[in-house]
Amino acid sequence: MIEFLGYPFFQRALLAGALTGLLCGALSFFVVLRRLAFVGSGVAHAAFGGVALATLLGLPTGLGGLAASLAVAAATARASESSGVTEDTAVAVFTVAAMAGGVVALGFVKTNVDLFGLMFGNILTVDPGDLLLLAGAAGAILVALAFFFRPLLLASVDEEGARVAGVATGAMRLLVLTLVAVAVVAALKVVGILLVSALLVLPGATARPLASRWPGFLGISIAVALVSVLGGLLLSVALDIASGAAIILLGTCLFVAALAVARIRAGRST
Amino acid sequence: MSIGARFQSVGVAFGGRPVVEEAAFEVRPGERTAILGPNGGGKTTLIRVLLGLLVPDRGRVVFFENGREIPRPRIGYLSQRSTLTADAPLSGCDLVALTLGPAAGFRRLRGAREEAHAALTRAGLPGDKMDLPVGRLSGGQRQRVLLARAIAGAPPLLVLDEPDTALDAEGLATLRRLVAEEIAAGRTVVYVTHDSDAMGGADAVFHVDGHVSAGFAGHVHGTAP
Repeated sequence: MIEFLGYPFFQRALLAGALTGLLCGALSFFVVLRRLAFVGSGVAHAAFGGVALATLLGLPTGLGGLAASLAVAAATARASESSGVTEDTAVAVFTVAAMAGGVVALGFVKTNVDLFGLMFGNILTVDPGDLLLLAGAAGAILVALAFFFRPLLLASVDEEGARVAGVATGAMRLLVLTLVAVAVVAALKVVGILLVSALLVLPGATARPLASRWPGFLGISIAVALVSVLGGLLLSVALDIASGAAIILLGTCLFVAALAVARIRAGRST
Repeated sequence: MSIGARFQSVGVAFGGRPVVEEAAFEVRPGERTAILGPNGGGKTTLIRVLLGLLVPDRGRVVFFENGREIPRPRIGYLSQRSTLTADAPLSGCDLVALTLGPAAGFRRLRGAREEAHAALTRAGLPGDKMDLPVGRLSGGQRQRVLLARAIAGAPPLLVLDEPDTALDAEGLATLRRLVAEEIAAGRTVVYVTHDSDAMGGADAVFHVDGHVSAGFAGHVHGTAP
């Protein structure tokens, strides 16, 4: 495996993995805290429709995916705020509509579309351009999270209390969904639509039972994401298995281990 | 200077059904104002309008200081049913400090934790509980955290929605003491209650049952109009 570290494509893959882990780990904290696991997954899946439509129209696929994810994120936030429809219901409706639109669009596309790559990604084929895009997106998202951290955190744990304190809670909801949409498109090439939606949930879900206060919760979430992505990548090389699947399976193992640790701790304290 | 609030013909309807009609009354600066009324009479609706959580269908609430209209001031609020997540990954100190400085930005808030500790102490939360996650606190301790959040930073207007149903007897005694201290410091207190004497007497009492049917200026003790 050591010899792989000398290859530029593998070095790029490791760097892309680290950026994706950092990005998804930080976002996962808010996705899990706000109980947006299904919403995050829905916004990720909506990218499929946009990518398919962009392919049909000859536009950059990343742009199409971003537009579709943002549209679903905005429609979800708007519907849940103004009409009393819950976020999970709204995202379920808009996501299947976006995916159905994608299937219709693909029916008109004459060229071959790498659907498998779109859904599962391929971190080993990341080129310098992809890496630059990912680094830019990761930087922008992390800066936004750091800047809005206080209002986001307060709105995530006590919406009414946050509103009384002057936080625009609707804007915070839209911000999280928008950042999820940008992260999905940025990480599309690395882990694909299906797996990025899992990476937005698994790190936070693993950290939640292990940490009772936010600094530990956030730190463990980022650490789990990094270990899952980088460990999964190394495992995929060592065992000659698909990299995306290895990343998610390792993340799932960490999640199960966290549940076991929490159970043991709870048993000790009773 | 103390802050007052004037309800100007406020009307709220839910699904076409009027809940509050033509509410017109004044919360006078530096006084204890009690809002009484039956369940479903619109008390909490009026409080939500006062807090800015609900936009009325008609009318508006005007805040004033020294006779001049001012923007909505910072309001300390203790709700009847808190929306704080039961397993929020925050300690009482985290929550109070966060509420004191919820604005976006990169700068660390200086003094917020010290101010939060002071408010928690005033609310009667033991020192060893201040840094525990709120999910590990008892119901009464949690209420004290929420009470500390309401008074932290000396908001000019304190709004308490049926605090006597959310606090135990000891907590209520603490709240009465705190309300007396806030009034003595020139701040304005509004509370929704079934008992106008709950906060140690009221300077004004308003009865809400669909509309504000009566307002009593002057000191009133324990008497619903």
